[in-house]
Amino acid sequence: MSELDRSRLQDASYMAGLVAECEKEIQKGIIGQKDIIHQVILAMLTGGNVLLEGMPGLGKTKLVSTISKVFDLSFKRIQFTPDLMPSDVTGTNIIVKNEQGSGFSFEKGPIFANLILADEINRATPKTQSALLEAMQEHTVTVGNDSHKLEEPFLVLATQNPIENEGTYPLPEAQLDRFMFKILVKFPGKEELKEIVNLTEGGKAPTIEKKMDGEALLAARELVNQIPIADAVMDYLLDIVMETHAANPYIREGASPRAAQALVRAAKAKAFLDGRFNVSFQDVEDAAYPVLRHRIIVSFDAISEGITEDAVIKRILEAKKPRV
Amino acid sequence: MEKKEFLRKIQKYQRKLNRAELVQNLIISLCIGAGVGILFQIVAFLVVFYPVNWYSIAALVIAAVTAVVLTLCRKKSMQQTALYMDRFGFQERIVTAYEHLEEEGEILRLQRADAMKQLQAKEDRIKIPLLKSWKQPVFTLGLLAVMVVLMMVPSETKKQAKALHMVREEAQEKQEELQEVLEEMEELAENTLTPEQLAALQEMIESLQSSMQEYNQVESTEALQAANQKLDYKYHNMQQQLENMVAQQMLSSGAAASFQSLEAMQQMAEMMQELQNSGMQDGSPSLAGNQGQNGQQGNNQQGNGNSSNNGQNGQNGQNGNNPGDGQNGQSGNGQGNGQGQGNGQGQGNGEGQGQGQGQGTGEGSGQGRGEGSGSSPHDYVSIPNEIMDAGNLNGSANGHENSDFFRTQNGISWEGNHVSHEAVMGTYEQKAYEGIAAGRYPSGMEEVIKEYFASFN
Repeated sequence: MSELDRSRLQDASYMAGLVAECEKEIQKGIIGQKDIIHQVILAMLTGGNVLLEGMPGLGKTKLVSTISKVFDLSFKRIQFTPDLMPSDVTGTNIIVKNEQGSGFSFEKGPIFANLILADEINRATPKTQSALLEAMQEHTVTVGNDSHKLEEPFLVLATQNPIENEGTYPLPEAQLDRFMFKILVKFPGKEELKEIVNLTEGGKAPTIEKKMDGEALLAARELVNQIPIADAVMDYLLDIVMETHAANPYIREGASPRAAQALVRAAKAKAFLDGRFNVSFQDVEDAAYPVLRHRIIVSFDAISEGITEDAVIKRILEAKKPRV
Repeated sequence: MEKKEFLRKIQKYQRKLNRAELVQNLIISLCIGAGVGILFQIVAFLVVFYPVNWYSIAALVIAAVTAVVLTLCRKKSMQQTALYMDRFGFQERIVTAYEHLEEEGEILRLQRADAMKQLQAKEDRIKIPLLKSWKQPVFTLGLLAVMVVLMMVPSETKKQAKALHMVREEAQEKQEELQEVLEEMEELAENTLTPEQLAALQEMIESLQSSMQEYNQVESTEALQAANQKLDYKYHNMQQQLENMVAQQMLSSGAAASFQSLEAMQQMAEMMQELQNSGMQDGSPSLAGNQGQNGQQGNNQQGNGNSSNNGQNGQNGQNGNNPGDGQNGQSGNGQGNGQGQGNGQGQGNGEGQGQGQGQGTGEGSGQGRGEGSGSSPHDYVSIPNEIMDAGNLNGSANGHENSDFFRTQNGISWEGNHVSHEAVMGTYEQKAYEGIAAGRYPSGMEEVIKEYFASFN
């Protein structure tokens, strides 16, 4: 592996290649789940937070820890439980005594890291869940009268179990909107499962190498932001978001303006990861599912007919497909 | 690839795209136009529709023009062309590069370079066929062929339409002719004329105007025939009136005093004569039982007789014509002359008069002035001659015996006079009011009678 060349952090081609290398490196440690890895990296390139939904044991924690190694980022894991308090997340002021006397000192909570894994976020009370809101959106934590800035890059990867509803507190729409992506972690196929078993039980865990660091990731984000987007593509993107507000028997609530922003950024990141410097219609379509699926609230009709958010998005994409 | 080269390539495909668009629009438009044309043709088989072929061709022309206009209005821009080119696997590289061609920046520069590189490498992928599918043009050609075949297939309604068209054309020509006559008459009215002459002239103008309206409503050969006959009769009467007016003026004021108006009236009379002649010739092929040249000659002769004498005698002479028949024109003359002869010069001409009316007709060779139009509507009413003069009427006016009236030979004209519709109605009205005054009608009906006649005013 080549050393990170800091002089080329503004070189878009070099950075695109570097991110692609990171993706490959993560895939060494995580068997299967290529789409999940791809989407998480997209989120990292845009600075968005990710909500991972899937059964326990699918490697969500492993994924986050591997990412932290490849990107050389600090990583903290918070297990959300019903009795978890906000201060357990953000930190608190404690009384300290030293040579100068006694006074309050802020003790940082686990949220002070680059990568946060909020495991089973829907098990904590809404009060504790909302403690994450400010951190996710503003990248700051306020305790008492003091605001503390979080270290950049900052990214929250939250997980939730889709089948256990008892003793859970579903995330409110306002908080869901803060997550850039909602990624569905699917159960691996047989071949992938075999590889996972061999990897973990065979005692031959691969060595994961650092490929980038926080500074390089921030530089990559800057480059992603500069990627141009054609008018026709932008129109298509906006049409998709607007269509979620059109009369549709399967949609109760459409996506927010934040969804449009997230879609633009995600499409740009997708193009960057593919080695292109322009956004295509396909980029928008690929990004639409993880960006919109948690921002659209389906109607009772859709639920009763078994129509999922993804099915609704698919229909919108087909309806709005550009024709030249 | 340079920016200029990049733009040139997009322009090249823009031209191709617009050409293909034009062809596509033409095919679809002609398809629609041919469909409409076929519909017109089908309609022409069901109803009388003369300009059907023109309509069908116009549908095609309008369709083609619409296609061209639509193509021009929806001409593909460079941006649209770039977007179209991206469909061939360029993933919106070309349109993005085109839109940001003049902007600067590291990423933009890389994007442009990437787009140009991809375009050079994969340009052969871009296909813009002139025809999207062979089925559309074949289908359109099929429709056009069907339309052409339908245009050529004859039908009864098409024949009727053609005949009606000819009738309308002839009516149009007549209207133009009438317009000219009216203008001449209006000019004539500007000359020095007596109030009586002016009134007579005004009456002629109104009569011709009513004929114009009649021609305007002509919708059948029969109606045209009736209108022609009536107009011919009007011409004849007008000619007579004008010649009478000339004669009167010459007798009363002298030729020198109103030479201009005399000349104008004479010319107008000659014009009427010419129009009659042309009407006869034009109408004879199409009008069965039309009046023949002999009758016309007779009229002319009669006119001459009148011009050299006085109007009253001339009228009498005319009456004298009626009893004559085709075979015995001479004997008819004799009778006519008898009445007209009282006035010197008129005698010689009076013979001619007799011939003219002499109706030497039989079937269809036809007599002069269409007096035979007893059943067709017009603004003159035919009435039989006075019983005292009628050789072919039996019975008594005041008696209770049945009257008997018959035609001689098989001609379409019969004995009688023509008086204006207004005169007849006026007489009726007068009689009706006299009856009301005399109390001949049941009470309650009087108001009905009054309202009836009032409705004509």
